Amino acid sequence: MSLTIVDNATCAFCGCVCDDIEVHADEHKIVAAKRACILGKAWFLNHTTDKHYPDALVDGRETTVDEAVQVAADLLDRADMPLVYGMSNITCEAQREAVALAERLGGVADSHTSL
Amino acid sequence: MGGKVSCTLGEVKNRADFVLYWGGNPAECHPRHFTKYALMPKGRFVPRGRKDRTMVLVDIRETKSVKAADIFLQIRPGKDFEALSILRALVKGQHVDEKQVAETGLTLEQLTDLVDRMKRAKFGVMFFGMGLSMTRGKHMNSASILTLAAELNAYTKFVAMPMRGHGNVTGADVVMRWTTGYPFGVNFSRGYPRYNPGEFSTVDLLVRGDVDAALILGADPGATMPQPAIDHLARIPTVVLDPKVTHTSRLARVHITTAVTGISAPGTGYRMDEIPLPLRPALRSPYPTDEDVVRRIHQAVAEKPDWMAAGGQTTTTQI
Repeated sequence: MSLTIVDNATCAFCGCVCDDIEVHADEHKIVAAKRACILGKAWFLNHTTDKHYPDALVDGRETTVDEAVQVAADLLDRADMPLVYGMSNITCEAQREAVALAERLGGVADSHTSL
Repeated sequence: MGGKVSCTLGEVKNRADFVLYWGGNPAECHPRHFTKYALMPKGRFVPRGRKDRTMVLVDIRETKSVKAADIFLQIRPGKDFEALSILRALVKGQHVDEKQVAETGLTLEQLTDLVDRMKRAKFGVMFFGMGLSMTRGKHMNSASILTLAAELNAYTKFVAMPMRGHGNVTGADVVMRWTTGYPFGVNFSRGYPRYNPGEFSTVDLLVRGDVDAALILGADPGATMPQPAIDHLARIPTVVLDPKVTHTSRLARVHITTAVTGISAPGTGYRMDEIPLPLRPALRSPYPTDEDVVRRIHQAVAEKPDWMAAGGQTTTTQI
């Protein structure tokens, strides 16, 4: 099994976003996160490439991402005032897409900041 | 948060000789904040590191962070706005009422000493946590500490910075600012962005039942929001994008599993001082990224008739 070492990996757990973490990973999971704090270590080591969850659920039924995307688009488009909320644990690139979607929908875009 | 007087954590590291934390517990919530950024590091103008800095902690109770502080001020819960207003008056040399000072749980001597230290500092920084921004007074408290920092610049260099919690919540502010002009709570229902916290902020929208569908991504309001807000999320069609099946997923119509930001999804994340940093994922996810799924939903919506071209809002009269 090969070991990947990511030098200067970035921890996205809290607002400190420490970017000096040395992450050791095999193909399946992260095995070490040097210089990370107790919270960051727990965050890094808690993830694997296992499929613990179904790709998508519609009304509790397992389905494909394609179908779920279509149902989501139908539901959001039909609404008069849809809300796009959260955006804290996603990348800026995803946030940009989410704001663009909210604009197209004529809805509201909001984040944890408003809590 | 446009207009705030702030700086980067690199400037704090190299310059700050006065560091104040208000309503936060970095020792347990941001464990490397002291050691990597604000307190312990030796900096260009603070060559002796911790020895060159004064650290003041303001909080309602003794937390683990107290051990790292030179001065601990235990404030009475819900009196942050009053204490900040008194500090602003003292900075300007105005008279303050002793009875009002007593209500904050602090003494006039403590607050006068604090103001003296602030004015004597070469570079002061105030970090504020949710103990300030999420308690009685809320955004008025944040505005108050930011104003105090701005006003102290009449005497010395002073800045203030919120201690942001969730990974990239700072990025959400920044992205919404450059795309819409506003940091959060942006309403596009008239085809252009409008901003009004309290009216277009999520909890208020949900509790009043103003929204009739929701897309939740990178958040789990089903676990954190007040019950009436959660009840409304369960009533309306909700779509959830998350690496896990969350509390919110269970009350949603649609859940799509996505890759974990920073672990298996690449991109950019903002640090609390608004410095963008590249994420370097170490794993490959069997799931698509949030970015990819949102783009696909957007494409599917874009194939439908444009609501704006069809006459805009369904309500016939606009005020």
